[in-house]
Amino acid sequence: MADLEFETRLDRLFAEPPHFPDAPLFALKVDERLNRGWTLRRLVIGALGLVGGVIGVAQIMSSGVLGKLQFVSNASTKSLNDLAALAPAKLSLPALPFGGEALWMSALLAILALGFALTRAIKEI
Amino acid sequence: MTGSTSPALASAHDVELAALAAAGSRPAFGELVRRHSSAVRGLLRRMGADAALADDLAQDAFLAGFEQVADFRGEGAFQGWIKRIAARLYVRRLRKDARVDLMSETPEPHPPHAGEGAAADRIDLDEALKMLSAAERVCISLCYGAGLSHAEVAEALNAPLGTVKSHVKRGLDKLKQRLAPVGRGEDEDQVAGRPVHG
Repeated sequence: MADLEFETRLDRLFAEPPHFPDAPLFALKVDERLNRGWTLRRLVIGALGLVGGVIGVAQIMSSGVLGKLQFVSNASTKSLNDLAALAPAKLSLPALPFGGEALWMSALLAILALGFALTRAIKEI
Repeated sequence: MTGSTSPALASAHDVELAALAAAGSRPAFGELVRRHSSAVRGLLRRMGADAALADDLAQDAFLAGFEQVADFRGEGAFQGWIKRIAARLYVRRLRKDARVDLMSETPEPHPPHAGEGAAADRIDLDEALKMLSAAERVCISLCYGAGLSHAEVAEALNAPLGTVKSHVKRGLDKLKQRLAPVGRGEDEDQVAGRPVHG
């Protein structure tokens, strides 16, 4: 028998898989192990997230950032009050070329457009 | 992934299923497991793994396959791809356990049985492989069962290329004798005065 012919025969024999009556059971076992892996992964990620969150909160609290935020908030309130004192006592909407409803509609449309853009951006990512 | 599968998945090509699995579809990967588990388990047993080890490693191979399925581009057959993963896992296990001495020349004796037809050929292959030394069996299975080149086998086994070629050559010679056409074997038996096994 020629070498090539024999090797072709050997390829063919190896390509014929034996029959395993428990093949469905084997597929179920693989599925179970995949499930186990995903559950473990979710638990590990969740635990790491929790630990990270706790550490983050502890760091924020210890750095005195809340006091700084309070200071910034007070300063911005004072600035807004100063700005309000300079502004006209009453903003006259009827003086504008369109009504108040149009202003609200525009704001609503702008919010919708922003939401749409964000959705598209997230899909692209 | 369950025992049943949807008609859409059952009729899908392996490449499509692999693409779906790469996108996270476990039912698609389950269909691939159903299609190719017998081939993977069979290869591992032919390489010399016992039934329990072969099944464990086949499961490991499919789990690794699911993790790496995005790397499968469909250039070759999925079955060949997953079989190579399984074969390399088995080789790694052999090397870890130091169970295969690549310099070993000792064959594992096993009584041969004659047979006819394709089914008998397959039985003959499984039986004939048992007559080879462990190293010959692994080398032959990696080349003809997993589709690795001699160089890839040498790399996987961390053995010299020449050694691998010798094992393949000797293994082929032994298999050729064992898997000779039935008529020829009977003639030889009759000439030698040996009884012919049916």
